[in-house]
Amino acid sequence: MRARAASLWLLVVLAGSASAQHEHHAGMRMDSGGIVMNANHDRLPRGCDAISGDVAFTIHAGREYAAERPGIIFGMSQHEVRVPPCSRVTVRFVNDDEVRHQWMVHGLPKYLYPAGMFHIEAMGQREMTGTFIVPPEDRTYLIHCDIAQHMEKGMRGQLVVGAGSGDLWGVPGVSDAFYRASYVPAMAGVLVVSAALCAFAAVTAWRRRARRRGSPG
Amino acid sequence: MRLRRHLPWLALVLIAFIAYPPQWYPESVRMLQTSWFGAAPYHALPASTLPASLAPEVYCPPDPSGWRDAQTIEGVAVRASPPCVADNPHLVAAVVRGTNNVSAETLANSGLTPDAVEKGRDLDGDGDPDEIHIRLEVAELNGGSPVRKAPVTRYAIAPGVEPGLWVFAPKLIGMAAETFESNEARYSLRLPSPAIRIEQGDHVVITLENTHYMPHTLHLHGADHGFTDASGEGNDGVPLTSEVPVMPGGARSYELTPRHAGTMFYHCHVQPHVHVQMGLQGLFIVEENRPDNWLQTLNIGAGLVRAPSKAVSESYAQEYDLHYLDLDKQLVERIQANNDPRLIAQSMHRDYDVTDATADYFTLNGRSFPYTFRESIVVADQDERVRLHVVNGGTMGIALHTHGHKFTVTDRDGVALPDAARSLQDVVWLATAQRVDLVLNFTNDGLHSYGPGIWLFHDHQSRGVTTDGIGPGGNISAIVYRQYLGEDGWPKNRGVSWDPYFTPQYYRREVPVWQSYAPGLFAEPGGDRLLLLRLLVLALSTGALGALLVSASRDR
Repeated sequence: MRARAASLWLLVVLAGSASAQHEHHAGMRMDSGGIVMNANHDRLPRGCDAISGDVAFTIHAGREYAAERPGIIFGMSQHEVRVPPCSRVTVRFVNDDEVRHQWMVHGLPKYLYPAGMFHIEAMGQREMTGTFIVPPEDRTYLIHCDIAQHMEKGMRGQLVVGAGSGDLWGVPGVSDAFYRASYVPAMAGVLVVSAALCAFAAVTAWRRRARRRGSPG
Repeated sequence: MRLRRHLPWLALVLIAFIAYPPQWYPESVRMLQTSWFGAAPYHALPASTLPASLAPEVYCPPDPSGWRDAQTIEGVAVRASPPCVADNPHLVAAVVRGTNNVSAETLANSGLTPDAVEKGRDLDGDGDPDEIHIRLEVAELNGGSPVRKAPVTRYAIAPGVEPGLWVFAPKLIGMAAETFESNEARYSLRLPSPAIRIEQGDHVVITLENTHYMPHTLHLHGADHGFTDASGEGNDGVPLTSEVPVMPGGARSYELTPRHAGTMFYHCHVQPHVHVQMGLQGLFIVEENRPDNWLQTLNIGAGLVRAPSKAVSESYAQEYDLHYLDLDKQLVERIQANNDPRLIAQSMHRDYDVTDATADYFTLNGRSFPYTFRESIVVADQDERVRLHVVNGGTMGIALHTHGHKFTVTDRDGVALPDAARSLQDVVWLATAQRVDLVLNFTNDGLHSYGPGIWLFHDHQSRGVTTDGIGPGGNISAIVYRQYLGEDGWPKNRGVSWDPYFTPQYYRREVPVWQSYAPGLFAEPGGDRLLLLRLLVLALSTGALGALLVSASRDR
């Protein structure tokens, strides 16, 4: 596992030094503002004849973008990004907090994006911009911040390419949590049992009266 | 005619009588039987059931990157780390030089951000930097999730044991997980919070960047710091008296220029009866000022200091940080039960009652036995002198005991003891938050050391050597002489197989304790099918008899 991480870094470093010569190739760009990993400006995913168009987004991250939605702590100004197949996507990621945040896409083709990911990371109160090209298939990809618990506490989103492949669970403002607390009052059990008893009593009384009316004597 | 009417119940009584287990007859009846017929014939006790075969983990994971080896990185001599799992030497070098002073390659290999440990000017002109800026984040390990049941950012303290934890973490760039698929916490993201090392007189700034979803602070326990900083802001980390806590996504800097050297402590002071026990605590060591003293500012996971200070190197062959912490299962599982931070806050700070608490897990440097043997053993040669900095961050107290050695306590709570108060001992009591500095002297004189071997050291209180009551577990580790250490860093044990201890089943109470060397002898016995059959027949016949009685009484 450690070897794998080390080799990943090595790959990143080598690719990074290569990108010094070929400015627009995959690898890691790092400065005091953060990192962009596996940027791709011109290499086409398989099945794309050409770049279908350029789309650009500015996405803010921070605590204030969670304020509208109860039960999350961190948020993004936009939790869903919709793009056409084969489009070139440029994301300007603005971090309004004083801690690191990330905008990371998973599940991209590994022949273009090592480990299948495209990753922007911005230090506190800094911004980073990165570009990548999406594949031709209609598919929904996970976007998240992989700082411990940031995805779980709000920084979870989806990248919808074309028509997508169905919403992911747990995207704030888009889809419900798969595991959700019940949020019913503590006395709910008593309430439910007494409601059932009431219904039982009512139906019994109604049946009895119906029988009495129907009987000849 | 009459007999026919009574036949059914008579038959049932007879069947019940035959089915009734003879070993349950009254003793007087059994004695009478014995006098007539002698003892009952041999009826073998149920055979042992052998548990399903276990798949133990690899004791000592391989080290393909050569992290254990001695190496020089960025001009920093990083010492060899003999146990099988070692710290990342690139990170060691980066925090010695300062993450602002190393090459992009070393920084990338360390995993740290460029501002994780910044080292500035040499203020006293003695050849080492005296302006130190450390940035710490707060990470949750084994936490909850809205989309999966398994804990996220996983970190096992022992096989299959994954308690929810909060730690101060070095500022690492990139993902918290080793890979997206594995969801295992990254190598340097772990319990305990890193041991911090600074030099006496350094101008130190520690910025707490609160990446966690709850408020936290940093309190420097025992280290010389002002109540306010230079700008008049609160600097003690205590919400009651000093400042408003650092909210999620926020940051705050603490400053100190310590006048005294010693082994101190740092921890969060927000709802401390909960937050400190979740793991928000670390060793804080102020080293004596020496010329050209480049310190290893962070010791990830505590343990061996691979780039020790000048003062320590003058008198000791090696230096280790030992951080003991106990955990309450009923507290740590609360962050896994819910994902809504409001429910977590209620569960931890209102529902949880620390006055009813008992500790269940006992860790040394963030792991319990057998994982302690991978990374927290003390390895030494004969005639070496070894320095140990020990803290007990747990609630229960530690009776730290060494086999085969008597040690000397030289400092308590960061203050040197007078010579008259120093004596050889083999148990030292550490109250909660207490620190002691120990000297282990490996001179084989029958007092300091009884000679080479694999000698355990552990909390001598019984619970401390268990994991939720299952032993061996807890904070057991060992002093291992080099001749007893294998090439891979695993001690050459001469005792029993550890296979069961490297399975989650053992700590789930599913494996008989002496299974590895006495298979079957003390295993779980199988069931007595004959007795079960007798009881079933007895139940059926008495039930039928009862029904006959009821119907007979009705007919009447």
